[in-house]
Amino acid sequence: MGLESKLGDSFITTTIDKVVNWGRKNSLWPMPFGTACCAIEMMATLATKFDLSRFGAEAIRFSPRQSDLMIVSGRISIKMMPVLRKIYDQMPEPKWVISMGACASCGGVFDTYTLVQGVDQFIPVDVYVPGCPPRPEDLIDAVMQIQKLIGDETVSVARMAKREEISQATLG
Amino acid sequence: MSEEQTDAEVVEPPEPIVIQQLRERFSDHILTVIDQRGELSVVVDKDASFQVLEFLKVDFNLSYDFLVDVTAIDYSQMEDVLIEYGYARYMVVYHLNAFLTNERLRVKVPVSEKDFTIKSVVALWNSANWLEREIYDMFGINFDGHPDLRRILMPDDFEGFPLRKDYPLRGRGEREKFNFGRENV
Repeated sequence: MGLESKLGDSFITTTIDKVVNWGRKNSLWPMPFGTACCAIEMMATLATKFDLSRFGAEAIRFSPRQSDLMIVSGRISIKMMPVLRKIYDQMPEPKWVISMGACASCGGVFDTYTLVQGVDQFIPVDVYVPGCPPRPEDLIDAVMQIQKLIGDETVSVARMAKREEISQATLG
Repeated sequence: MSEEQTDAEVVEPPEPIVIQQLRERFSDHILTVIDQRGELSVVVDKDASFQVLEFLKVDFNLSYDFLVDVTAIDYSQMEDVLIEYGYARYMVVYHLNAFLTNERLRVKVPVSEKDFTIKSVVALWNSANWLEREIYDMFGINFDGHPDLRRILMPDDFEGFPLRKDYPLRGRGEREKFNFGRENV
């Protein structure tokens, strides 16, 4: 990029945390778990008008093995919950979860026999997006919140341990 | 309007041909005919439901060849309907369409709790397969002769039939007890 010619024989100092977090937060690979109308707004967020690639999170992977940000957008029934949990478990660490919209966050208007009243009962959620459905701007804001969270993290086993703790508490 | 005209006998318009033909063949089994704003509904005895639907499909002139929908209604909180059909709690409803004439017909079959089985129409319309499974899933009505009668929407281990009126909206603790099918977690 020509950076080397400007720097010459000098070098820059930084910390491992900063470099790794910089890489992680600017190349989030979302795993879309779209089950309802929120997914339409998620698609709009990814499309040209709102363009999530401006925030480095446009590489949607439908394979959980290649993604690190799960966007739960839509209603999750008790029949769907094992699928969601399996996909979450298949994602490699480090991983983050956005619970998009009222239904994913608390069941929304569907206070019924079949609907999970908030996915945070079963998977750890980092950022909740209010709205029914939320505007694409809200989802972009949530991604930026995730980026902030990533920026505060440290490359250590501590995070893994914390995750495991939450996971044990929610699932057992 | 003159006096003579009001006294004159009111001539009812003739019944639609499909109703005439059904009355001719299944007179004992036709319970009610409802014609509301041009929408025809026939309430048919459960014993003859399959034969009536078969006739409606196979008859060359009627040829109701398209099964639009099969659904059911729980009338347990509608006293007047219950009284009319001998306290048959449920009503299985078939929506038919004839491509030839573009006529539509609704066939309703009362199903009582005493005898919870109705003959499946999968033999007539293959599309009834999943529709009848959904009714079984939601109302618990059994379909005699169905090739694969099991739940379609709810989890396989779900207990109860959620669209029955006595089933609570928030369920009987299914979502609270949900634990990925594992005990003691």
